[in-house]
Amino acid sequence: MTVKEFRLPDVGEGVAEGELVSWLVAPGDRVEEDQPVAEVETDKALVEVPSSYDGVVEELFVEEGEVVPVGDVIISFRVGGADGASADAESGDTKPTDAEPDDSEPTSVEAESGSPSRRTFAPPSVRRLARELGVDLSAVDGSGPGGRVDERDVREHADAEGSDPDEDDATDPKPVEMDTGDRKSAVSKRGSAEGAGATTAAEPGSGPEPAGRDRTLSTPATRKLANDLGVDLDDVPTDETREGEAFVAEEHVRAYAEASARPDDEAAPPAGEGGSGVETEPTPADPATDAPGETIPYRGVRRTIGERMEQSKFTAPHVTHHDTAEVDALVAARERLKPRAAEVGVKLTYLPFVMKAVLAGLREYPILNSELREEAEEIVLKDEYHFGVAVATDAGLMVPVIEDVDEKGLFELAAEVSDLASRARDRSLAPEELRGSTFTLTNFGAIGGEYATPIINYPETAVLGLGAVEKRPVVRERSGDGTGHEVVPASTLPLSLSIDHRVVDGAVAAEFANVVMDHLEEPLLLLNE
Amino acid sequence: MVVGDISTGTEVLVIGAGPGGYVAAIRAAQKGLDVTLVEKDAYGGACLNRGCIPSKALITASGLAHEAGTAEEMGIHADPAVDLARMIEWKEGVVDRLTGGVEKLCKANGVNLIEGAASFVDDQTVRVAHGGDGQGSESIEFEHAIVATGSRPVEIPGFSFADEHVWNSAAALSAESVPDRLVVGGGGYIGMELATVYAKLGADVTVVEMLEDVLDPYEDDVKRVVRKRAEDLGIEFSFGEGATGWSEASDGGYLVHTETEAGEESTYPADRVLVAVGREPVTDGLDLERAGIETDDRGFIETDDRTRSAVEHVHAVGDVAGEPMLAHAASKEGIVAAETIAGEPAALDQRAIPAAVFTDPEIGTVGMTETDAEEAGFDVAVGEMPFNASGRALTTGHTDGFVRIVADADEGFVLGAQIVGPEASELIAEVGLAIEMGATLEDVAATVHTHPTLSEAVMEAAENAQGQAIHTLNR
Repeated sequence: MTVKEFRLPDVGEGVAEGELVSWLVAPGDRVEEDQPVAEVETDKALVEVPSSYDGVVEELFVEEGEVVPVGDVIISFRVGGADGASADAESGDTKPTDAEPDDSEPTSVEAESGSPSRRTFAPPSVRRLARELGVDLSAVDGSGPGGRVDERDVREHADAEGSDPDEDDATDPKPVEMDTGDRKSAVSKRGSAEGAGATTAAEPGSGPEPAGRDRTLSTPATRKLANDLGVDLDDVPTDETREGEAFVAEEHVRAYAEASARPDDEAAPPAGEGGSGVETEPTPADPATDAPGETIPYRGVRRTIGERMEQSKFTAPHVTHHDTAEVDALVAARERLKPRAAEVGVKLTYLPFVMKAVLAGLREYPILNSELREEAEEIVLKDEYHFGVAVATDAGLMVPVIEDVDEKGLFELAAEVSDLASRARDRSLAPEELRGSTFTLTNFGAIGGEYATPIINYPETAVLGLGAVEKRPVVRERSGDGTGHEVVPASTLPLSLSIDHRVVDGAVAAEFANVVMDHLEEPLLLLNE
Repeated sequence: MVVGDISTGTEVLVIGAGPGGYVAAIRAAQKGLDVTLVEKDAYGGACLNRGCIPSKALITASGLAHEAGTAEEMGIHADPAVDLARMIEWKEGVVDRLTGGVEKLCKANGVNLIEGAASFVDDQTVRVAHGGDGQGSESIEFEHAIVATGSRPVEIPGFSFADEHVWNSAAALSAESVPDRLVVGGGGYIGMELATVYAKLGADVTVVEMLEDVLDPYEDDVKRVVRKRAEDLGIEFSFGEGATGWSEASDGGYLVHTETEAGEESTYPADRVLVAVGREPVTDGLDLERAGIETDDRGFIETDDRTRSAVEHVHAVGDVAGEPMLAHAASKEGIVAAETIAGEPAALDQRAIPAAVFTDPEIGTVGMTETDAEEAGFDVAVGEMPFNASGRALTTGHTDGFVRIVADADEGFVLGAQIVGPEASELIAEVGLAIEMGATLEDVAATVHTHPTLSEAVMEAAENAQGQAIHTLNR
């Protein structure tokens, strides 16, 4: 009988972490191999994580809604012989011996495992590096045999934390704070005599609940500070532990002393004007998080979009070319084909026509169907035509991919777009349906508007934005006498083409746009495609 | 000669030039800090002057004499005559060479050396009183201080080290002659080492120990090996008794009085009595309270994992900062103190501090025992290799003892080792490295060890823990 830990697997291309949306099992449940145990929202999809073991769920290490890096332990199973009793005893009363498990820090290997043999093994040079980088070794996943932590693991962990600083709040020993300032503060601590005030204010009822432990670990400096501030260390709330004992750090003591010294008004919700407010209304914002406005977590799909946009816009110098196609003929063609499409259950939009027109343009100007590989110093011209189609969903922008546009008919494209779009909104796309595009279309005109400055779906070279097809005034030669011009209403399609100016220049972009427009204005040409 | 009070300033003030203090001073100087090292007695501290080094010199010399006289089995017939005075002189030479080296190293690294006794004036100033004929004193202002004042032997009621026949360890290491009868109060490692020295030099030695065995913290099978060898050397043991005092005997010698917990009294005739019941930190005269530092109930300065006391810019290292009272622990702490002051992220993060006892045979330990590991919750794998199965041990004539290696059964990580036997103090280093590096039994077992050496026993023990030993039966 052993306890097996299960780490969040890599569920998709380049996915570094996922939000654990919901648990499908609970401790004590029997699971079979491949049975889904959790739903995880990754970059762009909601996926089910299957178990690798037959066994009984021992412990869940991650709360629903938490963001978990790939490779972190999320669940453990008891597998093998069913001697549950010893397993319970083991996980129940033994604690890691030399970690500093912070119970609120589920990424800590130590805290998760409940198995004492999970002490962190790392050579002295690596331990020093961890201190230099402010990395809590117990939170690092070792890549060596048996989880031994090496230098690379620490550096990678530090990098990961750099982009996600709120993950690590229990690093110890702390990064160096030094020198005379430090010394001065130590000295003044001894002299500061606000202690008396703090003591009286720390009476029960006025401040935070005293923790009232029997034993508390802390450094001598912290003990001294507590003494100076008139705080009983055993009363200071903490969620840090050392060797299984509660551990109190200086900041805990200060926070507790401050909170204790503060009068009641902070603890109580702001009273309403009348007598009724306090009991009936929900308590306004928690004083601790009372910041103006509302806070929305920046993670999951939102953060992925943000990171992609950042990468694209900060990497590729964008230039956007705008033009307008006169599409009366296209509108007419679509009207004629619509009933035929409906007969085979397809809703025909303008998008398949645009895709074919773009295809024509790309065939003539393959440089726009390319990818710049900076490191290799080469531009790869793609011989496939896989179009990403931007879809707005509740969770944010998704870009499912229509493969091989050159091999599909209009109806086929229409059906596929509609299927992918609706599944994008359900969040039921597979990761592979979201990757591999060579050119992207964004149809913001479906909502309204004329022109935009679309951001390239990096590392592609171009993106085409479509405005709304509407009747707009256009200037034409006056019919008949050929002597002047007139303004007439015509269906037009505004186009916004963004290109990576590293790869291609504006002139080529304009020429490409002309080919696309040509095919939109004379849809019969699309028969070539 | 300085008369009166002059005032100077330093970035780092180190008090005490033992293995904690001088190492801290040199490292701090290497980090570009302005360092002043104050020593009131002798550079090198207790370790070099009255402890590790002199005792090892006498252990080696007495061992050599004894071995030469007891090697008939190897066909050597000798009756060595020991000139203790000459032996002590040789020992002093070794000590002088080392302490002189410490002084030179400090100077070469730019450490400012001051002789005198330091006491705190406040948390930024000490006064150093110069001993001898320079009655002057000087004030030194510091930004950071490192207290490294060490420890001294504990006196017990009824025995005063001022009496000529009452020895502490320092006196035992500077004796002019070998006493006929030596009573050793205390069967700890210092008592056992010196009891062995004098037994080998021909004294009748009796060890009186309050507990029921010698070498208290060690495991029973480790103790047994050392005790049996001591008994073979003629050392007698009285357990469960504590020395309470002495009286003069009619033969010109003394009687050492002991008492059991139940109150039963005994006496042991002696010419000298060595009191070796432990060491206590030296903080008197330092006026620590003026710097705002308190000591715990045993007199130690409490420190954190970066050697800082409650007053953060005052560090404490070595014996004065508490257990383990070992020179190499002091040196490590000294380095951490210096690097912390220099703004580096140093910390006392070692997994294990090895320890050695230079009895016959030696004991070397590092990390966890089997019991420690079990209590820590590990699934434990243990492997042993007795030295009587080691070819090299047989050729030295010393086959008592064994190597035991303790590991985590799941992943094979080495957690500790206990070695009792020839050169155990040297052999333990390999296991220390294994522990710090997170090496596994496999790593140790698969490392090729020189044949024929004692170090093969470590490899064999690792193999034994894996159930794959060649030269022992796997348990």
